[in-house]
Amino acid sequence: MKFSYSWIREFVPGLGSESGGVTAQSLERLITMKTAECEGIETAGALLSGAVVAKVLEVEPIEGFHNQKALVDAGPYGIKTVVCGASNCRAGITTVYVPLGLKKVSGVMSDGMLASAAELEINKDHGGILELDGTQPLPVSDHIIEIDNKSITHRPDLWGHYGMAREVAAITGKTLRDPIDLSLLPAPGGPVKVEIEDTHLCPRYSALVFENVTVQPSPLWLQARLTAIGLNPISNIVDLTNLIMAELAQPMHAFDRDKLVGETIWARPAREGEAMPALNGETYALTPSNMVIADASGPIAIAGVIGGRDSAISASTTTIVLESANFNASSVRKTSSSLKLRTDASMRFEKAQDPHNTVRALARALELLPLLSPGIRLVGGLADCGRELTAPAPVTLNLDWLARKLGRSLEASEVRQILESLEFGVTRPDAENFSVSIPSWRATKDVAMPDDLVEEVGRMIGYSSIPLASPLVLCKPSFDPPERDFLRTVKRHAVAQGLTEVSNYSFISEEEARRFGLAVEDHIRVLNPIAAGQELMRISLLPGIHRNIVENARHFDHFRLFEVGREIHKSPLSEHTHFMAAIFTKDDGRSALLELKRVAEGLAPGLRVRPAAPSAWEHPHRAAELWWQGRPLGRLSELHPKLVENGRAAVLDLDLDLLRELEPERAKYQPVRRFPTSAFDLSILTPERELAATLELEIRRFAGDLAEAVEYVTEFQGPPLAEGRKSVSFRVVAGAPDRTLSSAEITEVRTRIIEGLSGQGFELR
Amino acid sequence: MQDLLDSALQRIQASATAEELEAVRVEVLGRKGVLAQLSKDMGKLTAEERAARGKFINTAKQSLEGAYEALKSRFESDALAKRLDSEWLDLTVPSSSAPLPATGPGSLHPITQIQWEIEDLFRSLGFSVLDGPEVETEHHNFDALNIPPDHPARDMQDTFWLEGHHLLRTHTSPVQVRGMEKLGPPLRMIAPGRVFRNESVDASHEHTFYQLEGMMIDRNVSVGNLTFFMKTLLSEIFKREVTVRLRPGFFPFVEPGFELDIECLICGGSGCPVCKQSGWVELLPCGLVNPHVLRMSGIDPNEWNGFAFGLGLTRLVMMRYAIDDIRWLQSGDLRFLRQF
Ligand SMILES: [Zn+2]
Repeated sequence: MKFSYSWIREFVPGLGSESGGVTAQSLERLITMKTAECEGIETAGALLSGAVVAKVLEVEPIEGFHNQKALVDAGPYGIKTVVCGASNCRAGITTVYVPLGLKKVSGVMSDGMLASAAELEINKDHGGILELDGTQPLPVSDHIIEIDNKSITHRPDLWGHYGMAREVAAITGKTLRDPIDLSLLPAPGGPVKVEIEDTHLCPRYSALVFENVTVQPSPLWLQARLTAIGLNPISNIVDLTNLIMAELAQPMHAFDRDKLVGETIWARPAREGEAMPALNGETYALTPSNMVIADASGPIAIAGVIGGRDSAISASTTTIVLESANFNASSVRKTSSSLKLRTDASMRFEKAQDPHNTVRALARALELLPLLSPGIRLVGGLADCGRELTAPAPVTLNLDWLARKLGRSLEASEVRQILESLEFGVTRPDAENFSVSIPSWRATKDVAMPDDLVEEVGRMIGYSSIPLASPLVLCKPSFDPPERDFLRTVKRHAVAQGLTEVSNYSFISEEEARRFGLAVEDHIRVLNPIAAGQELMRISLLPGIHRNIVENARHFDHFRLFEVGREIHKSPLSEHTHFMAAIFTKDDGRSALLELKRVAEGLAPGLRVRPAAPSAWEHPHRAAELWWQGRPLGRLSELHPKLVENGRAAVLDLDLDLLRELEPERAKYQPVRRFPTSAFDLSILTPERELAATLELEIRRFAGDLAEAVEYVTEFQGPPLAEGRKSVSFRVVAGAPDRTLSSAEITEVRTRIIEGLSGQGFELR
Repeated sequence: MQDLLDSALQRIQASATAEELEAVRVEVLGRKGVLAQLSKDMGKLTAEERAARGKFINTAKQSLEGAYEALKSRFESDALAKRLDSEWLDLTVPSSSAPLPATGPGSLHPITQIQWEIEDLFRSLGFSVLDGPEVETEHHNFDALNIPPDHPARDMQDTFWLEGHHLLRTHTSPVQVRGMEKLGPPLRMIAPGRVFRNESVDASHEHTFYQLEGMMIDRNVSVGNLTFFMKTLLSEIFKREVTVRLRPGFFPFVEPGFELDIECLICGGSGCPVCKQSGWVELLPCGLVNPHVLRMSGIDPNEWNGFAFGLGLTRLVMMRYAIDDIRWLQSGDLRFLRQF
């Protein structure tokens, strides 16, 4: 929202006083510290400072150029020669001269310029230089303070200049001048009848009717004022409604009386199937959840949002109905979001405007209309309809409580002065408490409880006046969910193993889901994705990790990375934290897989690897499930070569929720052996795809109690072994807790193993 | 001519290896192949014959090439299957049988690093560290934080909506609600985590970022306490004495609400491009917890009150390392990540 400094100054004249005046720049800082966030300050109509009304005396063409040479009577600046490109520049017109210094244009020395209305920032017209009729003074330049809309979401009153002026008066201690003279309003009894179907949705509807209207451009000061705050001047009647909206935060609308059907205006929910062509050229299909203003023929406006095209003001309008109404905030917001139409009016109404304000706006219109449309006449009295307006109960403010909340002692008189400067009503029923009545423009949503008054007092005394003090809090041990420390352990372990942590988006595309064999319908869909390719919530970290592999493979020949992130599942809706690591190499890929296995074993000591049926994204002969304590903990595999170019990528996926749930088995103490053990090696000849784990189990099975350890040593393939055969070596350590084994006993263990394995069809070397 | 074509087709289909197939291709489809010969004497034919011959050659070419391509891709996939089969690995061998990699340690993501650092700081002050789901209900993300439906404050946080009436949390404040419900007062807690806003991504905006929100609920917590606490905390985070100031800010879950600024660390308050010449940098929103929020979480606001704040972890990382583009953080690019 843009605020004009000079507009605010009209209501707080002291801002401009010789001594104790406040510049726009200081005002911006004060508003930032005490009311709302300012986003910046800029000058509107910079060229207007120094500009004067001037008369064009003579014009002559410049040979070879479009431009003309004009001789201008520039009043206080004297007679000037100016080069001008506007086609309407001709002798005899009155226009605007701006001194700019000497400059050679089209081969001629030009001393200053003649300006268009757009250049002067009066309106958007840059079709030629501004032509004046000699009766209007030039507008003056202004400072515009821009306030962050988000910071006044809760302040319906600050959506108009007068509301901001009230703040400024309170902040600076200067007098506020109310521009409204309610005595201008006629007696009730309008020439139109108003019917409100639901006063919850439309608490108040006020209107006046005028005749003998002349629709024409607004005076320059009004056009400049609207342009300065970002509104477009259209015609005197429309501009008046915008001016009052920007002043009082009360949106208004003018209907062409002659285009309305019947004598009654209804405020009612739209009927099923109704539609309305609107001022912006669109036609809106309406439902009963949309409030409309209607005449006997149907909707003439969408309440609080936009007017209808058929009843709009046009150049031929002579009689108008001027609406000043109040609508329910959430109803307007619902309608405006369902129609995807945000207007200056809907933006204000959705902040919950003050129903008392409708007639103030009409009084202001009564004062201004005769200036904008000379000869205009009021027809009849004031149409005013709605529910009874009740003031909310006063809020009790305990002064001691207030001081404790702020953390600063306060004089009661100081508190009273602050609240009264903001037009709160203050009485003191007893020594400890104030009874504070809330002004109507703060009572719709903003202020309702003593905590809201803490803010009013706090911001006005200035938060910097509150001494810093350490909190004194009750002693209570903190609660730390075990998963936090667990996740730290996991991440530290991964880093120690040489892996670098990445973080990927939670979104994936349908195509990625399919590429990894994930059913699209298993994913939760984002209803409003930010971009194509981010429409599904990930149920696996794999697509992201795959992207990391492909992209980093452009820069590195080998790398290790991991992510700890959440899978988001649909049915049942649940989030699972997973660990996924990847190693990219250019070699045969074996050590990368074993390295990841070691990473997994570090987190789940003793986990078992079982060959698994490969998924489409996996190398068909390099995929395994990881089991721990009888539960499937994850997966270890190499990506299918079609997914990785110029290298191989091993990936490890662990379910961290399960891992955390399954604690490592508690260590079982065995007395340390006092007697020496003996070791011997065995080499077993097997088909080449026999698993080491199977062989180890077999050896243990036959070794019996005396085998203390069975360790894989190495394996060998190739000549002199036959094709398709391999030799796998194990070391067996034998011993007993109570004696040194004799060589006969050791031989017996060895023989038992050899015979047992032979019985199973294995051959020993 | 038809015989010529049939025999060529047979020869293609009879190829037993890729090499054989390639040799046949040259003979049949090559520059001196069957088809080339057929078109050689075209010049001697009448126009009618020429048209018929041309048509025949075209059809023949298509069927020969089709047969060739089909067989070629079968040979290729067989070859791949064979290669992959030969790459069979026994993953049950002990991982210790692989050589240890010659690699130094990896690194933690900078967000993780700063998150741990700040978590530890809060733990040292007796705060609990909680987390909640990334997929939230409208109730926890908005309603319980005093942001009812159709409230304009919902515009302040562009939301990703999910099917099934859920949403991606726009802040970690829902965790505060869960924390209040679960732990009750007195309460000191922080909720770090990933949050989502439906915003277009550019060098300074992300739709996915990290936040840390916190609250302290106790018997008597004042604005002065909040200011003291934030100053202490931020001085620890920035490893130097910082100056803070509060100004009004609107956030529905606090009342009063503040924007907390710190005096610009670059220029010390005299004005520079980083602080847009103002001497101050907007850092975090905070405020006294709105009594409605306490009540909705089952805490009696007449007995308890407190403050809440939100700290942008992503923002802190950007500030600490002077990172020029926020998109690096979620890029997975090791050229970036290995620097931390
Ligand atoms: Zn600075």
